[in-house]
Amino acid sequence: MWSFLMVVCLYGAVEYCLRGQSEETLDEASLIPFADDPEVARRVELATGKQIHAVAAEQARPGWGNLDM
Amino acid sequence: MSTATIGQAYNYKVVRQFVIATIVWGVVGMAMGVWIASQLVWPEMNLDLPWTTFGRLRPLHTSLVIFGFAGSAQFAASYYTVQRTCQVRLFSDKLAAFTFWGWQSVIVIMLISLPLGYTTTKEYAEIEFSGAVWMTVVWVAYAIVFFTTVVRRQTRHIYVGNWFFGAFILVIAMLHVVNHLAIPVDWFKSYPVYSGATDAMVQWWYGHNAVGFFLTTGFLGMMYYFVPKQVGRPVYSYRLSIVHFWALITLYIWAGPHHLHYTALPDWAQSLGMAMSLILLAPSWGGMINGMMTLSGAWHKLRSDPILRFLVLSLAFYGMSTFEGPMMAIKTVNALSHYTDWTIGHVHAGALGWVAMITFGSLYHMIPKVFGRQQMHSVTLINLHFWLATIGTVLYIASMWVNGITQGLMWRAINDDGTLTYSFVEALQASHPGFVVRFAGGVLFLSGMLLMAYNTWRTVRVADLRVAQLDARIV
Repeated sequence: MWSFLMVVCLYGAVEYCLRGQSEETLDEASLIPFADDPEVARRVELATGKQIHAVAAEQARPGWGNLDM
Repeated sequence: MSTATIGQAYNYKVVRQFVIATIVWGVVGMAMGVWIASQLVWPEMNLDLPWTTFGRLRPLHTSLVIFGFAGSAQFAASYYTVQRTCQVRLFSDKLAAFTFWGWQSVIVIMLISLPLGYTTTKEYAEIEFSGAVWMTVVWVAYAIVFFTTVVRRQTRHIYVGNWFFGAFILVIAMLHVVNHLAIPVDWFKSYPVYSGATDAMVQWWYGHNAVGFFLTTGFLGMMYYFVPKQVGRPVYSYRLSIVHFWALITLYIWAGPHHLHYTALPDWAQSLGMAMSLILLAPSWGGMINGMMTLSGAWHKLRSDPILRFLVLSLAFYGMSTFEGPMMAIKTVNALSHYTDWTIGHVHAGALGWVAMITFGSLYHMIPKVFGRQQMHSVTLINLHFWLATIGTVLYIASMWVNGITQGLMWRAINDDGTLTYSFVEALQASHPGFVVRFAGGVLFLSGMLLMAYNTWRTVRVADLRVAQLDARIV
């Protein structure tokens, strides 16, 4: 009984997470690690043919080599 | 490709701090492991001092490598990943700094109290009451920093790596608090609220999930970020990664009773633990295959990229140890393997092969980025580290397999009249060559760790400040 309930919960959780997700939105999610790295994003786009909406963080403030510990 | 700016810089300071702490505790914790391995080869290495005996240094070794090395690595990786995948600066610089100094103070408490003999006697939860309470405070701060950063994200979707980090943080909080419930009698002495078989069950519910959530789930979060990033390909199947996540966290929490086969624990609970451990093979291998297949079309990169080699080999060891674990959970197999060195070999297949290797790969990826360098000081040294770590791990686990099976068979051998064929000391003598090989494996692994420390020091020690400032862009 517990095992059956657990399987139902697992199925429900996965279905809930994937609700309304299309191939495109999952593709987009899988490309998130490259999105804040425009140079790498360009290489991944070339290798996979998928489009990445890239962003770039601002330059770090100068300091002791930006190595303050 | 369109590029926008997110208008802020990431907080890399706390990531750098945790990266350095990972390496420092890695060296100290692994050196402690080599020391206690030497004690089993040469008993004189106990030094005839109470605070350097095996019984006190072994919990120190496990605490330093689990909480110092693996814990700091997960702090570093989760802080790095959550910022980059949520495209937002970490919540509260001050609270993040508190988690660093607070966590280091927890490790120092372990470093001092365990050799002095202050211990709860619960494996992987030896830190006594006041230390455990302080650890909870730091962990809650960690949860606030991590989850508030996720809430403030600029992306629509929460990347799957962050799901694993989030589960790791929540479940460890629950396990730690429940297992440490105790009545204190002074600052460093307490008695658990549980007793007998209940105490044992709670302890191994914690103990197994220390492996499952502290040494697996957070590292899977690392895998889902650093493997795709290093390969330059998105994860093989994002849909599978979601199934992997839910299946893993649904199943892992039930597997603890396999540590208590043939004990006073009710038989049904032992069988449940065995069944859940066997089912656990499916999500473990699902995740491993998902990581491996991310290299589809990019396998050639393994020839030239030692960082990728670390990451892929860690997945191979993960697959191997998550196959071995369910097999050892089968009661008839466990009757032979339990209490022998086979268990130690299994743990180190995961600890050295999976946890440490994926940490090395992730750190080698992160260090140049957070310290503003193009790459590590020496790629040759990374290669050398890879081979030292690989050979060290293989020597370690092979010797413990041989020892474990030898011990199991000798302990259960009986004569026709029902008496034991071998005494315990005879089994111990037969294990001595294995202890020597294990020590050699540990020395090789530690040597690799020292090379990493040297390579990191040379990378971090920036000679040209102007170049460093130029390179220290957050991209």
